[in-house]
Amino acid sequence: MDPRVRSRGRSPGRSVLIALAALLALALAGCTLQSTPSGTDADGVTTLRFWQYYQGQQKQWLVEQTERFERENPKINIELIDVVGDQQGQKLLAAVSIGNGPDLLINNIVVDFPTLSGAGVMRDITPEWESFADRELFPPETAWRNEGRVYNLLPYTNLLGMYYNADILREVGITEVPTTISELEAAMEQVSADGRYQALAMSGAPDVSGAWLFFPQLLGLDIDYCSFSGPEVDQAFQRIDRWSDRGWLPQATATWSQTDAWQQFSTGRYAFGLNGNWNLGNAGDLTFTYGTAQYPAPDGGVSRVFPGGEGIAIGAQTQFPDLAWKYVESVFLSAEGARTINATAGSIPVRADVAGSDALAGNTEVAPFVRAAQASATWPTNSATADMQRALGEAVSGVYSGQLDAGQGARSAIDGIAAARAEGGGGC
Amino acid sequence: MSAATTDRTPVSEAVRAPGTATRQLSRPPVAYLLPAVILLAAFAAWPLVVLIRMSVSDVGPTNVVGDWAFVGLTNFAEVLSDPETWQAMGRTLLLCLLLLASNLIIGFLAATVLSASGRITTVVLSVMVFIWALPPLVSGSVWRFLLDDSGTLNALLGLVGLGPVNWLSDPDLALWSVGGVVAWAALPFSALILRGGLLAIDEQVIEAAAIDGAGFWRTRWSIILPLMRPTLWILSILTVLYAFKAFDFFYVMTAGGPGTSTNTLPVLSYYAAFTNFNLSTGATIAVVSMLVVVLFAIPYVRSVQQEVDQ
Repeated sequence: MDPRVRSRGRSPGRSVLIALAALLALALAGCTLQSTPSGTDADGVTTLRFWQYYQGQQKQWLVEQTERFERENPKINIELIDVVGDQQGQKLLAAVSIGNGPDLLINNIVVDFPTLSGAGVMRDITPEWESFADRELFPPETAWRNEGRVYNLLPYTNLLGMYYNADILREVGITEVPTTISELEAAMEQVSADGRYQALAMSGAPDVSGAWLFFPQLLGLDIDYCSFSGPEVDQAFQRIDRWSDRGWLPQATATWSQTDAWQQFSTGRYAFGLNGNWNLGNAGDLTFTYGTAQYPAPDGGVSRVFPGGEGIAIGAQTQFPDLAWKYVESVFLSAEGARTINATAGSIPVRADVAGSDALAGNTEVAPFVRAAQASATWPTNSATADMQRALGEAVSGVYSGQLDAGQGARSAIDGIAAARAEGGGGC
Repeated sequence: MSAATTDRTPVSEAVRAPGTATRQLSRPPVAYLLPAVILLAAFAAWPLVVLIRMSVSDVGPTNVVGDWAFVGLTNFAEVLSDPETWQAMGRTLLLCLLLLASNLIIGFLAATVLSASGRITTVVLSVMVFIWALPPLVSGSVWRFLLDDSGTLNALLGLVGLGPVNWLSDPDLALWSVGGVVAWAALPFSALILRGGLLAIDEQVIEAAAIDGAGFWRTRWSIILPLMRPTLWILSILTVLYAFKAFDFFYVMTAGGPGTSTNTLPVLSYYAAFTNFNLSTGATIAVVSMLVVVLFAIPYVRSVQQEVDQ
């Protein structure tokens, strides 16, 4: 038989083999590109994969602390895998569904805790937490529970407060830093009347950040997502509508993220900025004199904000839970970790011995955030918490932009939050 | 034995051999199609099946990894009874109209100008390809800064005494601003497609029209546009498809805001699925979008089939 004929006769089978080989190579390449797998190598070094989305100074802190941990534990290698922050939740769900979840992870705890704990992404760390020697140094809110079991820890918080440009306040004749919403309104009116500066820079984006910035106007009156109705809600929407109408807030507030709002405040054109403590690290670069205060309290109430920040968790599918907990203890729960994250990134540790130290409580700029952390509000544990926040964010953004009037905004928020809460089972 | 058989093959059959070979090659080469079929099934068909299954199931934040309860058309009833869905549909259709106008009218004018050869044409074409190749997340971020209230565009307007325009934060303007950027990004593709169509027209036809006394615009209107009808038709369909999947620019520039004023169907679907983790709702909105797109895609597929038949 002609060899060429034989060759043609085999070609379909060979093609199939080549195709399968190519697919296999593609799949293997994909695995290789994704990350080094968890496991222990021939030298006895165990690699743990840590999915995180820290950036800037927080990332710098994490890298330094991880290097310290690896020096102290030469048989453990922590591979830091960068994930896009707002895609962390969906990627975790996808990874866990195919049995490829990470050993360690951080998450936007106030948004996705109900989802990730309910979906089996995070390991139950109740035994580790309850036997942790320094547990008494942390407030109970540090441990986030689902049906009584601990899945997430929040050892450092990020909270909202008020920054002010002391130079502008002096120029326009404001001598006292506002501590209540009414005082803030009076101060903004004074800044606006002066005409040289803008009054307030804050986020009003139609998402979680817009909701987060708005809610302290109600939290201090004991109104939260589970009691979101009544005249106080209407008044709060009328207030932000008034701020927009009088030009104290630019229309762009409706689309500003918290980063945008900080950049605006950094220009030196704004008298006040409502923003988070994570900017303390950058505040040293400001070209004007600044100060900080707690978020102004609503009239008749107290200053109260929601705690935020990244939760730390151990992946449900890890093969090395003991090593992962050792890392969490050393980097996230230790006094060393707490001191350094504040010094490097401005995050507020809740560990009592560090939070009460002169470095934090005695620091004029940091102290308002430390006080806020000690009396922060409690998030609902409803699985549709993210939905509730989005509904509120869209409503406040609509009011800032003029798409909705105050009444429409309040109604939209009340209805949207109620619908989401019901969708999530109705509880808090 | 084999050799003896070969020796006895009549010359006439040997002559027919090429024809036989042609018939063999004309058969569908199933094995060669296998890789494409596997890839298509894995990356297109299977996700589509999962999407449709999600749209008829109850998939929420806590059961996305696990069993999905079948709920029939309940999700569709909820989505279609939500006014926000119809508002998002309206915004998406407005975006379609804007893109059609931009791609067909401005695209045709650009193609006409660029159909003349020359160094400037080469430079402009290079720039257009560069714009087309830019990742939307990158160009969208740049445009976001340009269109900011205190951005470059408003600074330029200020130089000529015009007040600042709230391009992205005015709820009446934001959709058009982002739509304009989407149209800007799509224009190079349409101009290049239409330029290809223009250059494919026989020069003798144009010369004949000129000899008959047709002017520049008369030639374009009565000769060139009718000849380009298939190209324009296909470009229109692709533009509609593009509008229904335009997400990146909205995500970067407004995140659906201010309020809900730039919530188009893809934006609504994304936030429902990946921010609120209402995966059923997100999937249902995506299926509704897909059904609308299918209505537009049917004529496209038929026109392609007609071209293949010709």
